[in-house]
Amino acid sequence: MAAGTSIGLFGPNGHGKTTLLMTISGIIDPWRGDILFEGERLNREGERKSQLSRNINYDVIRRRRMDPKKVARAGLIHVSQGNTLYPEMTIAETLAIAPIAANGRVEETESLDKVYSLFPKLYERQDQKARFLSGGERQMLSVSAALMAAPKLLLLDEPTLGLSPKLRLELAEAIRAIKADGVPLLVVDQDVEFLESLIDTLYLFDHGRISRRIEKEDLPSYEEIMSLLFEGAS
Amino acid sequence: MRYDPPFHKTNGLVPIIVVAIGLILFPFVFTDTFSRHLLVLVFVYAMVAVSWDLTLGFGGLVNFAHVAMFACGIYAYAILAKTLGVSPWLAIPAAGVVAMILAVAITLPILRLDGIYVILVTLAFSQLLYQVVISQSDLTGGTVGMVTLPSLKLFGYKFIKDGKIGYYFTGLLLLAASVTVIYWVIRSRIGRAIVALRDHKYYAQSRGVSEARTRIYAMAISAFISGVAGGFYGSYVRVASPDAFGIGFLTIVLSILLVGGVGSLWGPVIAAFVITLLAESLANLGPWREILIAILIILIMVFYPGGLWAAVQELREIVDVRRSALTAWFNRRRYKGRRQELLNVEEKYIETDHGTIAVADSGGDKPVLLCLHGNSSSKEVFQYQFESYRDRFRVIAYDLPGHGVSTNADPETSYNVAAYADAAEQILEQLEASEPIVIGWSLGGYVGLELAARANVKVRGLVITGTSPLNIVPDDFGAGYNADSHMILAGKHFLSPTETKNFVTSAVAPLTEESAYLHKAMPRTDGRARLYMITKINVTDWPRQARMLREGKIPFAIMNGPEDPFLNHQYIADWPYGNIWTGKPNDIPGGLHTPFFNKPKEFNAEFDRFLKEACGF
Amino acid sequence: MPMEALLSVLTGGLVLGSLYALMATGLAVVWTTLGIFNFAHGAFIAVGAYVAWQISSADAIGAGFVIGLVGAVVVLFVIGVIAHFLLVQPFERKPNLVLLSVVTTLAGATIFENLLIVGWGARPKQIAPMLEGDLHLGEVSISQNEAIIIVLVLFILALVGFFLRRSRTGRAMRAVAQNREAAQLMGLDVPKLFGMAFGLSAALAGLAGVFIGSIRFINPSMGADPLLKALIVVIFGGVARFTSPIYAAFIAGMVEAFAIYYVGLYWAPAVLFALMIVVLVIKPEGLFGKHERSV
Repeated sequence: MAAGTSIGLFGPNGHGKTTLLMTISGIIDPWRGDILFEGERLNREGERKSQLSRNINYDVIRRRRMDPKKVARAGLIHVSQGNTLYPEMTIAETLAIAPIAANGRVEETESLDKVYSLFPKLYERQDQKARFLSGGERQMLSVSAALMAAPKLLLLDEPTLGLSPKLRLELAEAIRAIKADGVPLLVVDQDVEFLESLIDTLYLFDHGRISRRIEKEDLPSYEEIMSLLFEGAS
Repeated sequence: MRYDPPFHKTNGLVPIIVVAIGLILFPFVFTDTFSRHLLVLVFVYAMVAVSWDLTLGFGGLVNFAHVAMFACGIYAYAILAKTLGVSPWLAIPAAGVVAMILAVAITLPILRLDGIYVILVTLAFSQLLYQVVISQSDLTGGTVGMVTLPSLKLFGYKFIKDGKIGYYFTGLLLLAASVTVIYWVIRSRIGRAIVALRDHKYYAQSRGVSEARTRIYAMAISAFISGVAGGFYGSYVRVASPDAFGIGFLTIVLSILLVGGVGSLWGPVIAAFVITLLAESLANLGPWREILIAILIILIMVFYPGGLWAAVQELREIVDVRRSALTAWFNRRRYKGRRQELLNVEEKYIETDHGTIAVADSGGDKPVLLCLHGNSSSKEVFQYQFESYRDRFRVIAYDLPGHGVSTNADPETSYNVAAYADAAEQILEQLEASEPIVIGWSLGGYVGLELAARANVKVRGLVITGTSPLNIVPDDFGAGYNADSHMILAGKHFLSPTETKNFVTSAVAPLTEESAYLHKAMPRTDGRARLYMITKINVTDWPRQARMLREGKIPFAIMNGPEDPFLNHQYIADWPYGNIWTGKPNDIPGGLHTPFFNKPKEFNAEFDRFLKEACGF
Repeated sequence: MPMEALLSVLTGGLVLGSLYALMATGLAVVWTTLGIFNFAHGAFIAVGAYVAWQISSADAIGAGFVIGLVGAVVVLFVIGVIAHFLLVQPFERKPNLVLLSVVTTLAGATIFENLLIVGWGARPKQIAPMLEGDLHLGEVSISQNEAIIIVLVLFILALVGFFLRRSRTGRAMRAVAQNREAAQLMGLDVPKLFGMAFGLSAALAGLAGVFIGSIRFINPSMGADPLLKALIVVIFGGVARFTSPIYAAFIAGMVEAFAIYYVGLYWAPAVLFALMIVVLVIKPEGLFGKHERSV
């Protein structure tokens, strides 16, 4: 992935897009391969060994290849799918702990102002607990918390999932603004038009593999993508 | 689908008989009362632990009042037998009933609760019982407890004067009865409901399992056994002390349960022996004994949380893998001549990524006919095809990894349909055989479909037999086959001799001189191959196979026996094939799951027709 | 009931309540952050008392009560962090974490208790109270030691509450408790925060141990009874908010004090247990509970 560009991932459900993002951010320990970011390796070298015994607790014997904390602090911030963050914490509290991952890269008050200007709704409701927010507001909160961490690359996993069309547009607008602000994105979504407006390159995902790479200029229509993915299947 | 053979047809029979004989002979070998005393304690602990497992392990209900039920059993025995003068033999089951009633009372407040709340409430309830017991000193003796409880007697024969033999056998009998009851319960409808609620509460409820009723049943049954154990213990030590409510006793029994393995029937029984004997052997260390045992328990939990029963299973697997590998190694040398005689070709060994594969190849510069055998069988099952087609074709068959005289392979990577197809590609490449016509039988049918769908090798024609094409897994798996009990054996790790006989009889042929070697092929097969075929089912890209069949570019035929007990013939007939030879699945008259072996003449005639009409030979 | 007796019952209830509040808050911190029940909490109470005795008592180091108190808190925090690392951390990813940690914390409690027996013997000891003499406020008479305990407990709980609500580390701890995966994705150091929560809980247990030790005798198994009382309080009040076990603790303390006066020492715990079970049947999430669990 080239520096400064944004990419999209598109593919059928259950083919491993979310798994890929989880692996990048270290929640799932990868078997082999490396995760490089800005020339720096985020994982330990070597392969994850297969387990000889089903019952031995390998969590205490083997070190994991990746540490999610290290990934986040390197600036790769993952906004996971349908996430409600912390139900019992207020918006202000959530945004106050978010800059821990930023390692002091940015001025906190500055990014707080930026977030509140991007999502004025959150400013209005900043003393509400997250569990009282609507689905759209929760998603906005997730994105803002990620922004507070001064991301060098923002991984968005289906940010518009389960939102009404109006909210979807609102959120898309905000994400576009984030991109215009110079934050590269890696977006997974099922909505091709939404992806099209955000990204430079689209990767099609099929059975756990990236099956095709399409540049923005020759991005095909929805029907064409469907036929690419499900060739032969009726 | 659930497979529950009667106990005497499982592999458990022999070990249980051996252990039972050992335990019956034990008091006559070790005639000192102390070792008998220890074993009586073991029996009591095992009863409490095993019955606890019904709620905690099988039910997933972290019920901490179980040990209090044991203590209540002791007190119930004490009050009934001593204060009220009831016969001890009646007082022991009555103690169970008392515990059962209390357990139902405890269950009522926890019916709506889950997880950690259940721990807290049951623990609090057992403390409430404790407080009640010590505050009613007129009835229970308060903190001092009750002493000189009546002991057991049988027609004037006094159990306290025979060096504990009477107690030993009573305890053994009670333990055997408890284990039998639990074994029976977990296999009954109630047991299935208990486990279903643990594994997926809402799904089970939506299928009509009543959570409240099931919880009450589980609690009542386990409390009854615990109460009986308490009553027996009271008659044995002849003291009822409030210490039985304490955290110390709870820790011991809980350790037995967890070290043994939660959710297993035999684990806690084994652990009761291990922990009690260990605790006794360290008895003179004082407080260090408690510390050492606690450290040991922590170490086991940290490094091996499955416990002893999981270790036994793992050991058994290791032994079984070694045994099957050794059988293969031995067979490769000993019966080579007989195998070569059957197929009339020389056996070759080819190194692949999936181990050393034994290959039979009739050779020659002729069109290739690749024969893929099924689950737990071997390449010799195609003896009649070798006989008929070797003149016109280069017939190739090989033993799948973990089968026949091929070596065992890494189960994680090599025991699945995609890996078998990969092995086939490597073999064809090394033999420089190309464009095969493939006959796939059962599991081999999927390998054939996968080989064709991968399209790394051009398949000139494909015949599957005894195989239901799948698209959506596992749904189609359930639809494509009959949930016949012998079918379920296809994915079972360890098989008893009866099970082997049943499966091969259904899958291939009844045991005759002709099919004897196929009956031997199943015990040789690495059990992990069966297990991983099921667990790794998602490794294979099933929709790709379905797509390939719907496209119908490869000449394709299905030849099944109409009497095949495993297949759902209607499902196969209704499948939307793109291009199937003769437009429908073909029946081999009188054929079973293995028509090419049972009815070779009819099968080969039909196959000839396929070769001629569809493939142009 | 005469006025004098009523007042003494009330002050007794207040003392009990403040001790229960301290213990229950410690339990609740672990419960809400790690989702487990720490059976070693009672053992932590005993260890705290012994550490304080060793530091403060004239028979041992003799450094005085305050240093003993501080020492107990520091030592217990460290023990808590270590206990979390050894007893709970290994199962962090296991689905049956609750059950496994019940066994390991029970085993841990056994180890601590027996180490105390090995180190100090089973004979009861007493920590010299902070202040001698009685305090007279009109009709009410309360020992100065008990009065200062009530004040200190309230102060400490306020401090802990402030830490969890206002400080960044405290907020991060609550975040980890509420959504572990999101916290990981945000770059929080989850194992460290869990360890700190456990340490905090152990330190509160140690404090409770010191206070109990300055009122009653201490012995290696002194933690068992407070553990159960704390357990009742936590169930009774629920853990929906940081303050709910505290209110519940004072209610439980009062109930127990009145029960001792009316039905006697033996029946008082049974009254508490019965009350708790009634609360659970009617409102399983606790008196002040909402359905979610959180700090």
